[in-house]
Amino acid sequence: MSAVTSIFGIPGVLIEPRFAFRQLANHPPKPADVFKGTALWLGALPPVFAAIGMHEHGWRLGTVEPLLLSWAATIWIAILYFGALLFGFLSSALVGRWMAATYGANQDLGLYFGLLTIVGAPLTLGSVMHLYPDVFLNLLVLVPCLIWSMYLLYTGVPLALGIEPERGMLMASSIIGYLFVAFVSLLGISAFLWTVGIGPRIGV
Amino acid sequence: MDNAADYYEDRLVLAFTVCSIVWALFGMAAGLYAAAELVWPRLNFGVPELSFGRLRTVHTNAVLFGFGVSALMATSIYSVQRTCHTRLFAPEFAWYVFIGWQLTIFFGIAGIALGATGGKEYAEMEWPYDVLITVVWVAYAVVFFGTIATRKIHAIYISNWFYGAFIIVVAMLHIVNNLAVPVDLFKSYSLYAGAQDAIVQWWYGHNAVGFLLTGGFLGMMYYFLPKQAERPIWSYRLSVVAFWAFTYSYIWAGPHHLHFNSIPEWVQSLAMVMSLVLLAPSWATMINGIMTVAGAWRRLREDPALKFIVLALAFYGLATFEGPMMAIRSVNIISHFTEWTIGHVHSGALGWNALITYGTFYFLIPRMCGCDLYSVRWANWHFYLALAGTMLYILSMWGAGVTQGLLLLSLDEYGIVKYSFTDVMVAMRPYYQLRLIGGALFFAGTLLMGLNLYRTIEAGELVRVRPPRPGTGGVLAGASA
Repeated sequence: MSAVTSIFGIPGVLIEPRFAFRQLANHPPKPADVFKGTALWLGALPPVFAAIGMHEHGWRLGTVEPLLLSWAATIWIAILYFGALLFGFLSSALVGRWMAATYGANQDLGLYFGLLTIVGAPLTLGSVMHLYPDVFLNLLVLVPCLIWSMYLLYTGVPLALGIEPERGMLMASSIIGYLFVAFVSLLGISAFLWTVGIGPRIGV
Repeated sequence: MDNAADYYEDRLVLAFTVCSIVWALFGMAAGLYAAAELVWPRLNFGVPELSFGRLRTVHTNAVLFGFGVSALMATSIYSVQRTCHTRLFAPEFAWYVFIGWQLTIFFGIAGIALGATGGKEYAEMEWPYDVLITVVWVAYAVVFFGTIATRKIHAIYISNWFYGAFIIVVAMLHIVNNLAVPVDLFKSYSLYAGAQDAIVQWWYGHNAVGFLLTGGFLGMMYYFLPKQAERPIWSYRLSVVAFWAFTYSYIWAGPHHLHFNSIPEWVQSLAMVMSLVLLAPSWATMINGIMTVAGAWRRLREDPALKFIVLALAFYGLATFEGPMMAIRSVNIISHFTEWTIGHVHSGALGWNALITYGTFYFLIPRMCGCDLYSVRWANWHFYLALAGTMLYILSMWGAGVTQGLLLLSLDEYGIVKYSFTDVMVAMRPYYQLRLIGGALFFAGTLLMGLNLYRTIEAGELVRVRPPRPGTGGVLAGASA
């Protein structure tokens, strides 16, 4: 059984990521196994932590009063957050596999599910800081987690997908490019929805 | 007999390159200090020259005109000679361009620090400097187009089309936007008034981004990327189509800076549509660049410079996607007047302009000095510092911008603005701290590059290269200058 098909294998993966990436390359898991066993649970952590934190302490944007929401509103936001994370995970896996032909990488979808689960693990675990949703404290923890994830992506692409480090570097940069574009699209779509009246009440 | 007139004029390229690096260090240090002032406002010590308003303008002028334009002058002069198989036209005249540009920018920026400003963004220098810039720019155009006119081969390579558009359009923008009535030696007022002045200013401002920071640097990419990858451009036809599409559409997009202002709504809508159209030539260029590198794996291993250019292309893709999206009016109403715009500008300025310039300098200097780069390891460190710095900068400004947009537009139960300016500034503090860290990392990388290239220049001697005779390749003279 691959380490990425069970949530309990994740600490070991983060301690010895190179071994995990090689194991992934040698024994590609089934996409459904990775999704059910690990990705879904890791992806659920940030929305759950955020929902508890927002309800208990309110979202602190740095202003005097924390923004307190009802349980109903909090749960809706958490569901949307979970949906956005799942979309990011699935679309990145599919886009990565689509890029594989250009970079001569292995096209087994299970590899991409496994790779992205490992890459995303530091960020999802770091989201424990959402329990106390203060922007500064969250940045303090999540920025090192982001750097850790970037390191895992650049290390993992060549090892897990069986390509030379140079191609891996280029492919990892392309995946980052996609993630940035996807993220900024999400910001743009959110801004558009707020303007047409969906979401926070703003004076436009 | 060894005659200097037989060789490419590369001493000038080296001089521009060195000045560009010095300007980068100075301009980024000013930016870093200004960013620190947003975290610790007392850092201005009550000194007017250190106040945020002046320091920020010193930063933008130094990086845009000192670092950016010097780099474009260096690379255009280097590549136009090689793509035209001829020596630079009027090389002595070109040295006046170098001296004239550096002195004008130096004194112009000193004037800004002392409080002499025209008040138009990216066109702050007062009228005497504007006149000097015009004279130097015309001289630069004579040198560049003179070289093209005296070329020894029929075709005009695509990089020269982009550099040419950059020179012509920047001249047009600079002259039209800076028409002013002088009051005294260091004060003038714009010839235009009210909304017309704003439209002319943002026609200038956005096309400075378009033809200087995009067109000029695409000229750099189209020459140096194939050179570094040792492969021809993936699709030359696509590059020509993208050039004309880019040139036609960019010029209309400026009024998207004036959404929801007192200019006609159709002008705003036109700017929005043309901004969206721009995505097509921009991404065509990005794909052309990426596909040129794809397959040059060996070069990626050997040449640290190529990594910078690959990453620059990724950020070019991001910035040219984000820009049209932010030009949509219903997105712009949230993003305008917030830090999101600052993040967008820096995803282009740091991620695209600076990284492609760094990659080009890492390629140019060892070749011009006839020796290996002093430290490949330092260059690799620089790469990761630049990547981390740019990402932290962009992410912090995205967070800051969205927060700021929401807070500024939030209303209370009586329909009154809910948060005061102070509330919003307090909310910005963590993002400003993160931006400062990102900027410091990026600056540290640039400093490392400066030291690396200084050591490289010190260890080598300028290699002189002759233009090829018809039917032959270029001849390396090997003699020192």
